[in-house]
This record gives sequence, C-alpha cells and structure tokens, in this order.
Amino acid sequence: MVKKSKGRQKIEMVKMKNESNLQVTFSKRRSGLFKKASELCTLCGAEVAIVVFSPGRKVFSFGHPNVDSVIDRFINNNPLPPHQHNNMQLRETRRNSIVQDLNNHLTQVLSQLETEKKKYDELKKIREKTKALGNWWEDPVEELALSQLEGFKGNLENLKKVVTVEASRFFQANVPNFYVGSSSNNAAFGIDDGSHINPDMDLFSQRRMMDINAFNYNQNQIHPNHALPPFGNNAYGINEGFVPEYNVNFRPEYNPNQNQIQNQNQVQIQIQNQSFKRENISEYEHHHGYPPQSRSDYY
Amino acid sequence: MTRQKVKMTFIENETARKSTFKKRKKGLLKKAQELGILCGVPIFAVVNSPYELNPEVWPSREAANQVVSQWKTMSVMDKTKKMVNQETFLQQRITKATESWKKLRKENKELEMKNIMFDCLSGKTLVSSIEKTELRDFGYVIEQQLKDVNRRIEILKRNNEPSSALVPVAAPTTSSVMPVVEMGSSSVGFYDKVRDQIQITLNMKQTTNDLDLNKKQW
Repeated sequence: MVKKSKGRQKIEMVKMKNESNLQVTFSKRRSGLFKKASELCTLCGAEVAIVVFSPGRKVFSFGHPNVDSVIDRFINNNPLPPHQHNNMQLRETRRNSIVQDLNNHLTQVLSQLETEKKKYDELKKIREKTKALGNWWEDPVEELALSQLEGFKGNLENLKKVVTVEASRFFQANVPNFYVGSSSNNAAFGIDDGSHINPDMDLFSQRRMMDINAFNYNQNQIHPNHALPPFGNNAYGINEGFVPEYNVNFRPEYNPNQNQIQNQNQVQIQIQNQSFKRENISEYEHHHGYPPQSRSDYY
Repeated sequence: MTRQKVKMTFIENETARKSTFKKRKKGLLKKAQELGILCGVPIFAVVNSPYELNPEVWPSREAANQVVSQWKTMSVMDKTKKMVNQETFLQQRITKATESWKKLRKENKELEMKNIMFDCLSGKTLVSSIEKTELRDFGYVIEQQLKDVNRRIEILKRNNEPSSALVPVAAPTTSSVMPVVEMGSSSVGFYDKVRDQIQITLNMKQTTNDLDLNKKQW
C-alpha cells in the first residue's frame, strides 16, 4: 500500500524561518499545549497557568482555576493551603462537576465525529467503486459534452418528477388537512386544489439539508443539558396542559380505553389530595419523550 | 496491546495519580519549551503540585518574572481577550467539534443521496424503495444537480462550444449508455414497475363523495 503522507518527521529544534509556517505551527502547538494542561488539571487536580505571547505580540493564557489566582500565588510565593476553607472546597467541587460534564459532552461529540468520519470514508469508497464502472454521468458536469448534458438533464427532470410524486403521495397520506377546503394547505405538498398531484411542483427548493423536521428526526442528535424532557412530561407520567383547545394531536373521534381514563382520573385525584396546583389534564393518550420517527405515529 | 483511550476523569488511585502527574507535567513542560524555541516567543508555565509545597516554574524564576511583568503591564482588555480557564477552553473545543460534526454530517448526507441518485439513474435502485423520510433530502440533491447541469449547458451554449470535453470515441459499453428515464406510457428502463402507479396518481380525481367523507372525518 502506498503511503499517503511523509508520516511523523523529526523536526529540528530551531526557530522557524518561514513566517506563515511559524504562525500555523504556533496556533496548532498552542492549542495542543492548552489541551495537555487541561488534561493534567482534570486527571490530577493540579493548578496550572500558562502565559504565551504570539509572534504578533498578542498574549494567550490558560489557567485553572483561573490565570490570575495561580500567577498571584506564584508572585506572592504562597504555597497551597493544606486544608482549604469549607466554602472553597464547595466551590471547587462544583467547578469539578461542571468540568466533568463538559468533558463527558466533549467525549460524546468527538466519538460522533469519529463515527461520521468513518462513514465518510465508506461513502467515498462506494463512490470510487461505481466510478470505476465507467458511468460517464457520474463525472463532474464540467467534463461532460453538451449532448451528454442534455440527456442527463432530461433524465434528472424525469427522476425529479417521480420523486415529487412519491413525496406528494407520502405527505398526502401522513399530513392531515386541519383546515378542510383550504387549498393553501395542499399546495405546499404539490397538490393543486385537492384534485391533482402536481409532479412539477417544487417540493425541495425551500428545503435545507439536514434540518430536523417532523418527518426526519435524528435521535442521535446531541441535546446537551436537557433540564426536562420535551412535551411537558412530569414525574407522574401525566402530560399537563395538553387540553384539546391547543393540542395539535387532538382528534375528536379518538376514544381511548375507558379504564385508562379512570386510572388517569384516580391519579389526578391523588395528586390533588397532595395539594399540588396543576393545570387541566387531558384525558387523551399522548406520546412521551422525543417525537416519533414519522408524523404518522401521532395519528 | 494497543494504546487505550484515557477516560477524562479525576484519577482516584493516589499512586496512579502521582505517577501520571509526574509524567504528564514533564511532557507539558517539554511541549512548552518546544513551542518557545520553534516560534521564538516568550512563554511561561507554572504548575502548582498537590504533592509539593512550592510550585514548579518554567523556564526559570527569572525568565518567568520577566514574562509576568510584561503580562502585568498590558491592559485588562488585551489580557482577557485570549484568556481561558478550563471551562471556557472545553466549551471552545465542544463548539469546534460540534461544528465539524454538523458539517461532516451534512456532507455525508449529500454524498449518500448522490450515490442513491446515480443508482436510480443507472437502474440499480427504485425510487419506491427509498426511505420515505429521505425523499426531501433526495429531492434537494436532484435539484442541486439539475442547477449545476443547467448552469453548465448555459455556459457551453454561450461559448458556442459543442463540448468542453472529448466525447468518448470507443464503442459505448452497456455501462456507458445512460438508461432512458421516461414518464410516458412508452417508459423504458427502471421505472416500469412504478409507471402504472404514477399514471393512476397523476390522473386521480377526488370526487365530491370523497370530499364529503373528508368533512365528516374531521
């Protein structure tokens, strides 16, 4: 296998001549140094301060718990107190827990980034394999002749029509018309005046790639520091405030099991007895936690 | 045995913590020295050890005092502009990593959809077999490809060039002939299976009965 890069090289420990290389090296090595210092603080509970001037005479500094306190201790020659004051210890514990949370979050993000990088490599390999088959339409458009482009365009337009039809049928089946008789509701999904599905309707121009929407919810998305789960769930497993007036999932003809309603009412009475002030509780069944994979799960 | 990933939490075992501290402190100061030499910049590091009374200073007390006095003379704004503690530094790293992740995820999605698009065009995949939740992303990719093609056609027509690339002279193999994608009744290629469904859908009329039923439902 051919080596892609030179690999790890041993560099001479002298000041770099090239100005732009020096700037890049400084930037990379500074962040690396701060990272090492941060790790030392986390793993060993050490107090560290680093002050470094850039080639452009700007000052960069890192300190834990902060730069000033560590430098002041160094200037005044104060050794670390053997037994810290209670308040200090409490503050330190709190800070450590925050740092721990941040470290956990960072680890999570980095592992997801790693997964995505692996996926990228796999997709690139697939792309290379299909390119090797000699399909000219997979070449960059700059390399195609006019006749090829015309044919390619026709095929793409037909493909778009088919996809639009498929999408229209799916949305028509899964998105309810809350306002019957309103053509505006249908028009958004390529259905003109409720009679035809329009294959030329542009379903995709307003669409931004990777938006989280009702049809494509990514459960692996990072959601840091969710204090409460969404949709107003509470400790009692009952959704507060989900009353029909403003509940988009409410369906008048939907009658859940009568026993379930009775059970909920019993719980409600129990809660009221505990003198909790609560909003009106809906008698209808609702989903807990994150939204379901597709909107159809609601209905 | 391969190198294990170190879990970023406080080391509870005191002996392990002490040895880790010594090794890592040495590595940190070496890195600081290298940065100072390679970039020819003033640098100072101080490590307050939980195991020793006096802090460890690098490169030396005198050199450190010089850097500190230089640092002290600077305005508060200049000092704090690029100042970080552990929390802010970690937050910066999280933000950076999240941005990279989002960008790469978007690229992967586009690449994935492009692969599906070419599979559809070459007849390997049916549109009906694509995940319904992916249709919007798929449509978006087709849109982008169409825009690129149209832009290229315009450029070629404006320049009155029949081609900017050499048209393959070799006899076209089965793989180099693009499958025909048609919507009409004489459809050829990979849309045969879905053609009838599409025709039905396109010609579908909603009767007044359906509307009445719809009103009753809602």
